[in-house]
Amino acid sequence: MIKNYRLNNTFQRFFIYLFLVILLVITLVPVWLLLVNATRSTTQIQQGISFIPSHYIVSNYQILLSKGLNLPLGFLNSFTIAASVTVLTVYFSMLTAYGIVVYNFKGKKILYNSILVLVMIPMQLSIIGFYQYMSKIGLADNYLSLILPSIASAGAVFFSKQYLESIVIYDLVDAGRIDGCSELGIFHRIMLPIAAPGAFTLGIFSFVGAWNNFFNAFILITSRDKYTLPMLVQTLRGDVYRHEYGAIYLGLAATVVPIIIVYFIFSKYIVNGISLGAVKE
Amino acid sequence: MFSKVKKNTYGYLFVAPFIIGFLLFGLYPVYNTIALSFTNTSMMKPNADFVGLLNFTRLFADHTFLTALKNTWSLWIMNFIPQIGIALLLAVWFTDTRLKIKGGGFFRMLFYLPNLMMPAAIAALFFSLFSYYGPVNQFLVREGIIPAAVNFIESAPTMRFLVVFIQWWMWFGQTTIVLMAAMTSISVSIYEAALADGANGWQMFRFITLPLIKPVMIYVLVTSLVGGMQMFDVPMLLTDGRGSPSNSILTNNILMYIKFRSSQGLIGSASAIGVVVFIMTSFVALLIFYALREKSNKNVVEES
Repeated sequence: MIKNYRLNNTFQRFFIYLFLVILLVITLVPVWLLLVNATRSTTQIQQGISFIPSHYIVSNYQILLSKGLNLPLGFLNSFTIAASVTVLTVYFSMLTAYGIVVYNFKGKKILYNSILVLVMIPMQLSIIGFYQYMSKIGLADNYLSLILPSIASAGAVFFSKQYLESIVIYDLVDAGRIDGCSELGIFHRIMLPIAAPGAFTLGIFSFVGAWNNFFNAFILITSRDKYTLPMLVQTLRGDVYRHEYGAIYLGLAATVVPIIIVYFIFSKYIVNGISLGAVKE
Repeated sequence: MFSKVKKNTYGYLFVAPFIIGFLLFGLYPVYNTIALSFTNTSMMKPNADFVGLLNFTRLFADHTFLTALKNTWSLWIMNFIPQIGIALLLAVWFTDTRLKIKGGGFFRMLFYLPNLMMPAAIAALFFSLFSYYGPVNQFLVREGIIPAAVNFIESAPTMRFLVVFIQWWMWFGQTTIVLMAAMTSISVSIYEAALADGANGWQMFRFITLPLIKPVMIYVLVTSLVGGMQMFDVPMLLTDGRGSPSNSILTNNILMYIKFRSSQGLIGSASAIGVVVFIMTSFVALLIFYALREKSNKNVVEES
Protein backbone atom coordinates (compact mmCIF):
# COMPACT_ATOMS: atom_id res chain seq x y z
CA MET A 1 0.00 0.00 0.00
CA ILE A 2 2.51 2.55 1.17
CA LYS A 3 4.94 1.59 -1.56
CA ASN A 4 2.18 1.96 -4.11
CA TYR A 5 1.29 5.39 -2.81
CA ARG A 6 4.90 6.52 -3.01
CA LEU A 7 5.25 5.25 -6.56
CA ASN A 8 2.06 7.01 -7.50
CA ASN A 9 3.34 10.14 -5.83
CA THR A 10 6.67 10.06 -7.66
CA PHE A 11 4.85 9.62 -10.93
CA GLN A 12 2.56 12.50 -10.18
CA ARG A 13 5.43 14.71 -9.12
CA PHE A 14 7.31 13.94 -12.31
CA PHE A 15 4.41 15.17 -14.41
CA ILE A 16 3.95 18.23 -12.24
CA TYR A 17 7.60 19.20 -12.67
CA LEU A 18 7.38 18.53 -16.40
CA PHE A 19 4.34 20.81 -16.62
CA LEU A 20 6.06 23.51 -14.57
CA VAL A 21 9.15 23.41 -16.75
CA ILE A 22 7.06 23.69 -19.91
CA LEU A 23 5.23 26.69 -18.43
CA LEU A 24 8.56 28.21 -17.47
CA VAL A 25 9.85 27.85 -21.03
CA ILE A 26 6.67 29.48 -22.40
CA THR A 27 7.07 32.30 -19.88
CA LEU A 28 10.72 32.99 -20.49
CA VAL A 29 11.36 32.31 -24.18
CA PRO A 30 9.74 35.51 -25.49
CA VAL A 31 11.60 37.59 -22.89
CA TRP A 32 14.90 35.89 -23.64
CA LEU A 33 14.44 36.25 -27.40
CA LEU A 34 13.79 39.96 -26.87
CA LEU A 35 16.96 40.43 -24.82
CA VAL A 36 19.13 38.34 -27.14
CA ASN A 37 17.84 39.94 -30.33
CA ALA A 38 18.59 43.37 -28.90
CA THR A 39 22.26 42.40 -29.03
CA ARG A 40 22.18 40.89 -32.53
CA SER A 41 22.49 42.64 -35.85
CA THR A 42 19.56 42.72 -38.25
CA THR A 43 21.39 40.34 -40.59
CA GLN A 44 21.95 37.85 -37.78
CA ILE A 45 18.30 38.07 -36.76
CA GLN A 46 17.22 37.39 -40.32
CA GLN A 47 19.50 34.38 -40.53
CA GLY A 48 17.67 32.55 -37.78
CA ILE A 49 16.81 32.17 -34.13
CA SER A 50 19.58 32.09 -31.56
CA PHE A 51 19.50 31.99 -27.80
CA ILE A 52 23.08 33.23 -27.47
CA PRO A 53 23.69 36.98 -27.16
CA SER A 54 25.83 38.73 -29.76
CA HIS A 55 27.69 42.05 -29.61
CA TYR A 56 25.76 44.55 -31.69
CA ILE A 57 24.17 46.53 -28.87
CA VAL A 58 26.07 49.71 -29.67
CA SER A 59 25.45 49.62 -33.41
CA ASN A 60 21.76 48.86 -32.83
CA TYR A 61 21.62 51.85 -30.52
CA GLN A 62 23.28 54.04 -33.15
CA ILE A 63 20.69 52.97 -35.71
CA LEU A 64 17.93 53.94 -33.26
CA LEU A 65 19.50 57.35 -32.72
CA SER A 66 20.08 57.92 -36.43
CA LYS A 67 16.38 57.30 -37.08
CA GLY A 68 15.55 60.01 -34.59
CA LEU A 69 14.39 57.93 -31.61
CA ASN A 70 15.50 59.79 -28.52
CA LEU A 71 15.61 56.93 -26.05
CA PRO A 72 17.38 58.85 -23.23
CA LEU A 73 14.75 61.61 -23.38
CA GLY A 74 11.99 58.97 -23.27
CA PHE A 75 13.67 57.44 -20.24
CA LEU A 76 13.92 60.80 -18.52
CA ASN A 77 10.26 61.61 -19.29
CA SER A 78 8.98 58.26 -18.10
CA PHE A 79 11.17 58.42 -15.02
CA THR A 80 9.99 61.93 -14.12
CA ILE A 81 6.36 60.88 -14.32
CA ALA A 82 6.80 57.51 -12.60
CA ALA A 83 8.87 58.95 -9.74
CA SER A 84 6.40 61.78 -9.10
CA VAL A 85 3.43 59.41 -9.26
CA THR A 86 5.19 57.08 -6.82
CA VAL A 87 5.90 59.80 -4.28
CA LEU A 88 2.36 61.20 -4.41
CA THR A 89 0.68 57.79 -4.35
CA VAL A 90 2.69 56.47 -1.42
CA TYR A 91 2.50 59.62 0.67
CA PHE A 92 -1.18 60.43 0.18
CA SER A 93 -2.47 56.87 0.38
CA MET A 94 -0.54 56.28 3.61
CA LEU A 95 -1.88 59.59 4.94
CA THR A 96 -5.46 58.67 4.05
CA ALA A 97 -5.16 55.12 5.35
CA TYR A 98 -3.61 56.35 8.60
CA GLY A 99 -6.52 58.74 9.06
CA ILE A 100 -8.96 55.87 8.58
CA VAL A 101 -7.12 53.41 10.82
CA VAL A 102 -6.25 55.68 13.76
CA TYR A 103 -9.17 58.12 14.06
CA ASN A 104 -12.85 57.47 14.60
CA PHE A 105 -14.55 60.30 12.79
CA LYS A 106 -18.10 60.59 11.52
CA GLY A 107 -18.53 59.27 7.99
CA LYS A 108 -15.42 57.09 8.18
CA LYS A 109 -17.37 53.93 7.38
CA ILE A 110 -18.99 55.55 4.36
CA LEU A 111 -15.62 56.82 3.15
CA TYR A 112 -13.99 53.42 3.50
CA ASN A 113 -16.86 51.60 1.82
CA SER A 114 -16.79 54.03 -1.08
CA ILE A 115 -13.06 53.41 -1.43
CA LEU A 116 -13.80 49.68 -1.68
CA VAL A 117 -16.23 50.41 -4.50
CA LEU A 118 -13.87 52.89 -6.18
CA VAL A 119 -11.16 50.23 -6.38
CA MET A 120 -13.43 48.30 -8.72
CA ILE A 121 -14.65 51.20 -10.85
CA PRO A 122 -12.86 51.55 -14.18
CA MET A 123 -11.82 55.21 -14.01
CA GLN A 124 -9.97 54.94 -17.31
CA LEU A 125 -13.32 54.97 -19.07
CA SER A 126 -13.77 58.62 -18.09
CA ILE A 127 -10.54 59.55 -19.88
CA ILE A 128 -12.33 61.57 -22.57
CA GLY A 129 -14.08 63.77 -20.00
CA PHE A 130 -10.78 63.98 -18.16
CA TYR A 131 -8.96 65.09 -21.31
CA GLN A 132 -11.53 67.76 -22.20
CA TYR A 133 -11.44 69.10 -18.63
CA MET A 134 -7.64 69.13 -18.56
CA SER A 135 -7.45 71.00 -21.88
CA LYS A 136 -9.95 73.56 -20.54
CA ILE A 137 -7.74 74.32 -17.53
CA GLY A 138 -4.58 74.21 -19.65
CA LEU A 139 -3.17 70.93 -18.35
CA ALA A 140 -3.52 68.81 -21.49
CA ASP A 141 -0.12 67.87 -22.91
CA ASN A 142 1.24 68.54 -19.41
CA TYR A 143 2.69 65.89 -17.11
CA LEU A 144 0.66 67.27 -14.21
CA SER A 145 -2.44 65.70 -15.76
CA LEU A 146 -0.76 62.30 -15.47
CA ILE A 147 0.74 62.92 -12.02
CA LEU A 148 -1.88 64.76 -9.94
CA PRO A 149 -4.63 62.08 -10.05
CA SER A 150 -2.35 59.80 -8.00
CA ILE A 151 -3.25 61.88 -4.92
CA ALA A 152 -6.50 59.92 -4.90
CA SER A 153 -5.62 56.33 -5.74
CA ALA A 154 -8.29 54.13 -4.18
CA GLY A 155 -6.38 50.90 -4.76
CA ALA A 156 -3.31 52.27 -3.00
CA VAL A 157 -5.39 53.45 -0.03
CA PHE A 158 -6.90 50.00 0.26
CA PHE A 159 -3.44 48.41 0.23
CA SER A 160 -2.12 50.92 2.78
CA LYS A 161 -5.08 50.37 5.09
CA GLN A 162 -4.59 46.59 5.01
CA TYR A 163 -0.93 47.12 5.77
CA LEU A 164 -1.25 49.79 8.45
CA GLU A 165 -3.88 47.80 10.34
CA SER A 166 -1.33 45.06 10.86
CA ILE A 167 1.45 47.35 12.11
CA VAL A 168 0.00 50.42 13.83
CA ILE A 169 0.92 50.50 17.51
CA TYR A 170 -1.60 52.70 19.31
CA ASP A 171 0.63 53.04 22.38
CA LEU A 172 3.26 54.68 20.21
CA VAL A 173 0.67 57.14 18.93
CA ASP A 174 -0.28 58.00 22.50
CA ALA A 175 3.37 58.22 23.53
CA GLY A 176 3.91 60.69 20.70
CA ARG A 177 1.03 62.79 21.98
CA ILE A 178 2.44 62.82 25.50
CA ASP A 179 5.76 64.01 24.11
CA GLY A 180 3.90 66.91 22.57
CA CYS A 181 4.12 65.73 18.99
CA SER A 182 1.45 67.11 16.67
CA GLU A 183 -0.91 64.61 15.00
CA LEU A 184 0.77 65.13 11.62
CA GLY A 185 4.15 64.92 13.35
CA ILE A 186 3.22 61.52 14.78
CA PHE A 187 2.38 60.34 11.27
CA HIS A 188 5.58 61.73 9.76
CA ARG A 189 8.08 60.91 12.48
CA ILE A 190 6.68 57.75 14.06
CA MET A 191 4.30 55.94 11.72
CA LEU A 192 5.91 56.49 8.31
CA PRO A 193 9.27 55.03 9.36
CA ILE A 194 7.51 51.99 10.83
CA ALA A 195 5.47 51.60 7.66
CA ALA A 196 8.54 51.88 5.43
CA PRO A 197 8.50 48.26 4.14
CA GLY A 198 4.85 48.53 3.10
CA ALA A 199 5.41 51.97 1.62
CA PHE A 200 8.32 50.55 -0.34
CA THR A 201 6.26 47.68 -1.76
CA LEU A 202 3.48 50.09 -2.68
CA GLY A 203 6.08 52.37 -4.23
CA ILE A 204 7.37 49.62 -6.51
CA PHE A 205 3.86 48.85 -7.75
CA SER A 206 3.06 52.53 -8.33
CA PHE A 207 6.31 53.02 -10.17
CA VAL A 208 5.85 50.03 -12.45
CA GLY A 209 2.22 50.98 -13.12
CA ALA A 210 3.15 54.53 -14.09
CA TRP A 211 6.19 53.38 -16.09
CA ASN A 212 4.06 51.01 -18.16
CA ASN A 213 1.05 53.30 -18.51
CA PHE A 214 0.33 53.81 -22.18
CA PHE A 215 -3.35 54.64 -22.64
CA ASN A 216 -3.58 57.78 -20.50
CA ALA A 217 -0.34 59.24 -21.82
CA PHE A 218 -1.37 58.39 -25.37
CA ILE A 219 -4.58 60.42 -24.94
CA LEU A 220 -3.18 63.33 -22.95
CA ILE A 221 0.32 63.94 -24.31
CA THR A 222 0.78 65.22 -27.85
CA SER A 223 4.17 66.97 -28.07
CA ARG A 224 6.85 64.77 -29.51
CA ASP A 225 9.46 65.86 -26.94
CA LYS A 226 7.14 64.85 -24.09
CA TYR A 227 6.64 61.27 -25.33
CA THR A 228 7.03 58.60 -22.68
CA LEU A 229 8.68 55.21 -23.30
CA PRO A 230 5.50 53.30 -24.24
CA MET A 231 4.69 56.08 -26.70
CA LEU A 232 8.16 55.73 -28.23
CA VAL A 233 7.59 51.98 -28.43
CA GLN A 234 4.49 52.72 -30.43
CA THR A 235 6.51 54.82 -32.91
CA LEU A 236 8.93 51.89 -33.32
CA ARG A 237 6.13 50.24 -35.26
CA GLY A 238 6.38 52.93 -37.93
CA ASP A 239 7.82 52.64 -41.43
CA VAL A 240 11.08 54.37 -40.52
CA TYR A 241 12.20 51.26 -38.67
CA ARG A 242 11.02 48.73 -41.22
CA HIS A 243 13.62 45.94 -41.39
CA GLU A 244 15.79 47.44 -38.64
CA TYR A 245 15.00 44.48 -36.40
CA GLY A 246 18.05 44.73 -34.16
CA ALA A 247 17.28 48.35 -33.37
CA ILE A 248 13.59 47.63 -32.74
CA TYR A 249 14.39 44.83 -30.30
CA LEU A 250 16.89 47.08 -28.53
CA GLY A 251 14.30 49.80 -28.16
CA LEU A 252 11.82 47.31 -26.71
CA ALA A 253 14.40 45.70 -24.44
CA ALA A 254 15.42 49.08 -23.05
CA THR A 255 11.91 49.64 -21.71
CA VAL A 256 11.66 46.29 -19.89
CA VAL A 257 15.23 45.75 -18.65
CA PRO A 258 15.05 48.31 -15.80
CA ILE A 259 11.85 46.69 -14.57
CA ILE A 260 13.37 43.18 -14.78
CA ILE A 261 16.39 44.32 -12.75
CA VAL A 262 14.19 45.96 -10.11
CA TYR A 263 12.11 42.78 -9.97
CA PHE A 264 15.05 40.47 -9.43
CA ILE A 265 16.38 42.67 -6.63
CA PHE A 266 13.07 43.17 -4.82
CA SER A 267 11.06 40.11 -5.88
CA LYS A 268 10.32 39.16 -2.26
CA TYR A 269 8.66 42.50 -1.54
CA ILE A 270 6.77 42.38 -4.80
CA VAL A 271 5.49 38.81 -4.57
CA ASN A 272 4.35 39.34 -0.97
CA GLY A 273 2.79 42.67 -1.88
CA ILE A 274 0.57 41.22 -4.62
CA SER A 275 -1.49 39.21 -2.18
CA LEU A 276 -1.64 41.94 0.46
CA GLY A 277 -3.94 43.99 -1.71
CA ALA A 278 -6.22 41.07 -2.40
CA VAL A 279 -6.60 38.77 0.58
CA LYS A 280 -8.83 39.96 3.35
CA GLU A 281 -9.10 38.06 6.57
CA MET B 1 -5.91 62.61 29.48
CA PHE B 2 -6.58 63.41 25.84
CA SER B 3 -9.94 64.22 24.55
CA LYS B 4 -10.52 61.36 22.14
CA VAL B 5 -13.36 63.18 20.43
CA LYS B 6 -11.24 66.25 19.81
CA LYS B 7 -8.37 64.15 18.44
CA ASN B 8 -10.74 62.22 16.21
CA THR B 9 -11.61 65.33 14.23
CA TYR B 10 -8.01 65.20 13.00
CA GLY B 11 -9.17 62.26 10.89
CA TYR B 12 -10.77 64.72 8.49
CA LEU B 13 -7.45 66.48 8.02
CA PHE B 14 -5.80 63.20 7.06
CA VAL B 15 -8.42 62.12 4.54
CA ALA B 16 -9.07 65.61 3.11
CA PRO B 17 -6.40 65.50 0.35
CA PHE B 18 -7.77 62.17 -0.88
CA ILE B 19 -11.33 63.48 -0.97
CA ILE B 20 -10.35 66.71 -2.73
CA GLY B 21 -8.15 64.80 -5.18
CA PHE B 22 -10.94 62.34 -5.85
CA LEU B 23 -13.52 65.05 -6.48
CA LEU B 24 -11.19 66.91 -8.85
CA PHE B 25 -9.56 64.03 -10.72
CA GLY B 26 -11.92 61.12 -10.21
CA LEU B 27 -15.52 62.21 -9.89
CA TYR B 28 -15.60 65.37 -12.00
CA PRO B 29 -14.11 63.62 -15.08
CA VAL B 30 -16.81 60.94 -14.75
CA TYR B 31 -19.50 63.63 -14.59
CA ASN B 32 -17.87 65.46 -17.51
CA THR B 33 -17.70 62.31 -19.63
CA ILE B 34 -21.38 61.62 -19.01
CA ALA B 35 -22.26 65.25 -19.81
CA LEU B 36 -20.19 65.19 -23.02
CA SER B 37 -21.84 61.97 -24.15
CA PHE B 38 -25.12 63.88 -24.54
CA THR B 39 -23.52 66.51 -26.81
CA ASN B 40 -22.01 66.64 -30.27
CA THR B 41 -18.73 68.10 -29.00
CA SER B 42 -15.77 67.64 -31.31
CA MET B 43 -12.31 69.10 -31.66
CA MET B 44 -13.72 71.36 -34.39
CA LYS B 45 -16.70 72.42 -32.34
CA PRO B 46 -15.82 73.06 -28.70
CA ASN B 47 -19.15 74.72 -27.85
CA ALA B 48 -21.46 71.95 -28.84
CA ASP B 49 -25.20 71.44 -28.63
CA PHE B 50 -27.14 69.06 -26.47
CA VAL B 51 -28.23 66.17 -28.67
CA GLY B 52 -29.94 63.91 -26.14
CA LEU B 53 -29.40 60.22 -26.70
CA LEU B 54 -28.29 60.62 -30.31
CA ASN B 55 -24.72 59.42 -29.63
CA PHE B 56 -26.07 56.30 -27.93
CA THR B 57 -28.66 55.43 -30.56
CA ARG B 58 -26.00 55.88 -33.26
CA LEU B 59 -23.58 53.73 -31.29
CA PHE B 60 -25.98 50.81 -30.98
CA ALA B 61 -26.86 51.07 -34.65
CA ASP B 62 -23.17 50.92 -35.53
CA HIS B 63 -21.87 47.48 -36.45
CA THR B 64 -18.30 48.48 -35.60
CA PHE B 65 -19.27 49.21 -32.01
CA LEU B 66 -21.15 45.93 -31.65
CA THR B 67 -18.12 44.12 -33.06
CA ALA B 68 -15.86 45.90 -30.57
CA LEU B 69 -18.16 44.93 -27.68
CA LYS B 70 -18.30 41.31 -28.81
CA ASN B 71 -14.51 41.18 -29.32
CA THR B 72 -13.75 42.67 -25.93
CA TRP B 73 -15.95 40.12 -24.20
CA SER B 74 -14.71 37.10 -26.13
CA LEU B 75 -11.03 38.09 -25.86
CA TRP B 76 -11.46 38.51 -22.10
CA ILE B 77 -13.38 35.27 -21.51
CA MET B 78 -11.02 33.22 -23.66
CA ASN B 79 -8.03 34.44 -21.65
CA PHE B 80 -9.71 34.32 -18.25
CA ILE B 81 -10.77 30.67 -18.29
CA PRO B 82 -7.28 29.20 -18.93
CA GLN B 83 -5.84 31.85 -16.63
CA ILE B 84 -7.93 30.91 -13.60
CA GLY B 85 -7.70 27.18 -14.49
CA ILE B 86 -3.92 27.06 -14.62
CA ALA B 87 -3.62 29.38 -11.63
CA LEU B 88 -5.87 27.11 -9.53
CA LEU B 89 -3.84 24.07 -10.56
CA LEU B 90 -0.52 25.74 -9.76
CA ALA B 91 -1.78 27.18 -6.48
CA VAL B 92 -3.03 23.77 -5.34
CA TRP B 93 0.27 22.12 -6.26
CA PHE B 94 2.42 24.78 -4.62
CA THR B 95 0.42 24.80 -1.38
CA ASP B 96 -0.05 21.00 -1.09
CA THR B 97 2.15 19.95 1.82
CA ARG B 98 2.06 16.27 0.84
CA LEU B 99 3.23 16.80 -2.74
CA LYS B 100 6.34 18.67 -1.53
CA ILE B 101 6.96 20.54 -4.77
CA LYS B 102 10.44 22.01 -4.56
CA GLY B 103 11.27 25.42 -6.01
CA GLY B 104 7.70 26.68 -5.73
CA GLY B 105 8.95 30.16 -4.87
CA PHE B 106 11.32 30.12 -7.82
CA PHE B 107 8.65 29.07 -10.35
CA ARG B 108 6.16 31.50 -8.89
CA MET B 109 8.62 34.37 -9.11
CA LEU B 110 9.38 33.73 -12.77
CA PHE B 111 5.74 33.10 -13.75
CA TYR B 112 4.94 36.56 -12.43
CA LEU B 113 7.67 38.32 -14.43
CA PRO B 114 5.63 39.05 -17.62
CA ASN B 115 3.06 40.91 -15.54
CA LEU B 116 5.54 43.68 -14.75
CA MET B 117 6.69 44.19 -18.31
CA MET B 118 5.31 47.01 -20.40
CA PRO B 119 2.23 45.73 -22.29
CA ALA B 120 3.00 48.09 -25.17
CA ALA B 121 6.49 46.60 -25.52
CA ILE B 122 5.17 43.03 -25.21
CA ALA B 123 2.67 43.63 -28.01
CA ALA B 124 5.35 45.16 -30.22
CA LEU B 125 7.61 42.20 -29.38
CA PHE B 126 4.99 39.65 -30.44
CA PHE B 127 4.33 41.67 -33.58
CA SER B 128 8.04 41.34 -34.44
CA LEU B 129 8.18 37.65 -33.51
CA PHE B 130 5.18 36.82 -35.72
CA SER B 131 5.91 39.18 -38.61
CA TYR B 132 6.45 37.77 -42.08
CA TYR B 133 10.25 37.66 -41.76
CA GLY B 134 10.13 37.13 -38.02
CA PRO B 135 11.62 34.30 -35.93
CA VAL B 136 8.42 32.25 -35.73
CA ASN B 137 8.13 31.96 -39.50
CA GLN B 138 11.87 31.25 -39.77
CA PHE B 139 11.64 28.47 -37.26
CA LEU B 140 8.53 26.85 -38.74
CA VAL B 141 9.87 26.95 -42.29
CA ARG B 142 13.34 25.74 -41.39
CA GLU B 143 12.02 22.82 -39.36
CA GLY B 144 9.77 21.93 -42.27
CA ILE B 145 6.57 22.36 -40.23
CA ILE B 146 5.07 24.69 -42.84
CA PRO B 147 6.16 24.84 -46.50
CA ALA B 148 6.32 28.66 -46.79
CA ALA B 149 6.17 31.67 -44.49
CA VAL B 150 2.67 32.64 -43.39
CA ASN B 151 1.48 36.20 -43.02
CA PHE B 152 0.31 35.78 -39.43
CA ILE B 153 -0.36 39.48 -38.94
CA GLU B 154 -3.04 39.35 -41.65
CA SER B 155 -4.74 36.31 -40.15
CA ALA B 156 -7.69 37.11 -37.89
CA PRO B 157 -7.71 33.80 -35.94
CA THR B 158 -3.95 34.01 -35.30
CA MET B 159 -4.15 37.58 -34.06
CA ARG B 160 -7.12 36.77 -31.82
CA PHE B 161 -5.25 33.81 -30.44
CA LEU B 162 -2.17 35.98 -29.85
CA VAL B 163 -4.09 38.63 -27.92
CA VAL B 164 -5.62 35.92 -25.74
CA PHE B 165 -2.25 34.23 -25.31
CA ILE B 166 -0.44 37.45 -24.36
CA GLN B 167 -3.13 38.37 -21.83
CA TRP B 168 -2.97 34.86 -20.35
CA TRP B 169 0.83 34.94 -20.37
CA MET B 170 0.89 38.27 -18.52
CA TRP B 171 -1.69 37.38 -15.87
CA PHE B 172 -1.60 33.68 -14.91
CA GLY B 173 1.37 34.20 -12.56
CA GLN B 174 -0.31 37.08 -10.77
CA THR B 175 -3.51 35.08 -10.31
CA THR B 176 -1.51 32.11 -9.03
CA ILE B 177 0.12 34.25 -6.33
CA VAL B 178 -3.20 35.72 -5.19
CA LEU B 179 -4.88 32.29 -5.05
CA MET B 180 -1.88 30.80 -3.20
CA ALA B 181 -2.13 33.50 -0.54
CA ALA B 182 -5.80 32.64 -0.10
CA MET B 183 -5.07 28.89 0.10
CA THR B 184 -2.24 29.18 2.61
CA SER B 185 -4.50 31.22 4.91
CA ILE B 186 -6.78 28.16 5.27
CA SER B 187 -6.07 26.32 8.52
CA VAL B 188 -4.25 22.99 8.04
CA SER B 189 -6.40 21.39 10.74
CA ILE B 190 -9.45 21.50 8.45
CA TYR B 191 -7.62 19.37 5.90
CA GLU B 192 -6.34 17.04 8.62
CA ALA B 193 -9.89 16.52 9.87
CA ALA B 194 -11.09 15.83 6.33
CA LEU B 195 -8.23 13.40 5.77
CA ALA B 196 -9.15 11.56 8.98
CA ASP B 197 -12.70 11.30 7.63
CA GLY B 198 -11.31 9.66 4.51
CA ALA B 199 -11.71 12.51 2.04
CA ASN B 200 -9.66 12.34 -1.15
CA GLY B 201 -7.75 15.16 -2.82
CA TRP B 202 -10.56 16.19 -5.16
CA GLN B 203 -13.14 16.20 -2.36
CA MET B 204 -10.90 18.37 -0.20
CA PHE B 205 -10.43 20.79 -3.08
CA ARG B 206 -14.11 20.88 -3.95
CA PHE B 207 -15.58 21.10 -0.44
CA ILE B 208 -12.87 22.89 1.56
CA THR B 209 -10.53 24.90 -0.67
CA LEU B 210 -13.01 26.22 -3.22
CA PRO B 211 -15.67 27.49 -0.77
CA LEU B 212 -13.04 29.09 1.45
CA ILE B 213 -11.23 30.92 -1.34
CA LYS B 214 -14.48 32.11 -2.89
CA PRO B 215 -14.10 35.77 -1.80
CA VAL B 216 -10.66 35.89 -3.39
CA MET B 217 -11.95 34.17 -6.54
CA ILE B 218 -14.62 36.87 -6.79
CA TYR B 219 -11.92 39.51 -6.36
CA VAL B 220 -9.84 37.93 -9.14
CA LEU B 221 -12.86 37.59 -11.42
CA VAL B 222 -14.04 41.17 -10.96
CA THR B 223 -10.62 42.83 -11.25
CA SER B 224 -9.89 40.76 -14.34
CA LEU B 225 -13.26 41.71 -15.83
CA VAL B 226 -12.70 45.42 -15.17
CA GLY B 227 -9.22 45.21 -16.71
CA GLY B 228 -10.43 43.07 -19.60
CA MET B 229 -13.18 45.51 -20.58
CA GLN B 230 -10.46 48.18 -20.94
CA MET B 231 -8.10 46.03 -23.01
CA PHE B 232 -6.10 48.44 -25.14
CA ASP B 233 -2.30 48.29 -25.24
CA VAL B 234 -1.90 44.73 -26.51
CA PRO B 235 -4.48 44.64 -29.34
CA MET B 236 -3.60 48.25 -30.23
CA LEU B 237 0.10 47.56 -30.80
CA LEU B 238 -0.14 44.01 -32.07
CA THR B 239 -1.39 45.16 -35.48
CA ASP B 240 -1.98 48.57 -37.01
CA GLY B 241 -3.74 50.23 -34.07
CA ARG B 242 -7.18 49.89 -35.64
CA GLY B 243 -8.00 46.34 -34.60
CA SER B 244 -6.97 44.82 -37.93
CA PRO B 245 -7.20 42.36 -39.59
CA SER B 246 -10.86 43.11 -40.41
CA ASN B 247 -11.69 44.46 -36.92
CA SER B 248 -10.94 41.06 -35.39
CA ILE B 249 -9.12 42.51 -32.36
CA LEU B 250 -10.90 45.86 -32.23
CA THR B 251 -11.79 46.48 -28.57
CA ASN B 252 -13.99 49.09 -26.85
CA ASN B 253 -11.09 51.30 -25.89
CA ILE B 254 -9.46 51.10 -29.32
CA LEU B 255 -12.71 52.25 -30.89
CA MET B 256 -12.97 55.02 -28.30
CA TYR B 257 -9.45 56.09 -29.19
CA ILE B 258 -10.15 55.96 -32.94
CA LYS B 259 -13.21 58.22 -32.53
CA PHE B 260 -11.28 60.58 -30.27
CA ARG B 261 -8.32 60.88 -32.67
CA SER B 262 -10.37 60.88 -35.87
CA SER B 263 -9.97 63.92 -38.12
CA GLN B 264 -13.02 65.58 -36.54
CA GLY B 265 -12.10 64.49 -33.00
CA LEU B 266 -15.48 63.06 -32.05
CA ILE B 267 -15.40 63.76 -28.32
CA GLY B 268 -19.13 63.33 -27.85
CA SER B 269 -19.38 59.86 -29.34
CA ALA B 270 -16.07 58.75 -27.80
CA SER B 271 -17.52 59.72 -24.40
CA ALA B 272 -20.64 57.71 -25.15
CA ILE B 273 -18.48 54.58 -25.61
CA GLY B 274 -16.85 55.25 -22.26
CA VAL B 275 -20.25 55.65 -20.60
CA VAL B 276 -21.71 52.47 -22.12
CA VAL B 277 -18.68 50.37 -21.16
CA PHE B 278 -18.62 51.96 -17.71
CA ILE B 279 -22.27 51.09 -17.05
CA MET B 280 -21.90 47.59 -18.51
CA THR B 281 -18.77 46.82 -16.46
CA SER B 282 -20.25 48.13 -13.20
CA PHE B 283 -23.50 46.26 -13.81
CA VAL B 284 -21.79 42.93 -14.52
CA ALA B 285 -19.42 43.38 -11.56
CA LEU B 286 -22.37 43.97 -9.22
CA LEU B 287 -24.17 40.99 -10.74
CA ILE B 288 -21.17 38.79 -10.01
CA PHE B 289 -21.01 39.96 -6.39
CA TYR B 290 -24.72 39.41 -5.98
CA ALA B 291 -24.92 36.03 -7.72
CA LEU B 292 -21.93 34.48 -6.02
CA ARG B 293 -22.86 35.76 -2.57
CA GLU B 294 -26.35 34.30 -2.79
CA LYS B 295 -25.02 30.94 -3.86
CA SER B 296 -22.44 30.69 -1.11
CA ASN B 297 -25.17 31.23 1.50
CA LYS B 298 -27.27 28.45 -0.02
CA ASN B 299 -24.34 26.07 -0.01
CA VAL B 300 -23.77 26.61 3.67
CA VAL B 301 -27.41 25.82 4.36
CA GLU B 302 -27.41 22.71 2.19
CA GLU B 303 -24.24 21.30 3.62
CA SER B 304 -24.84 22.03 7.27
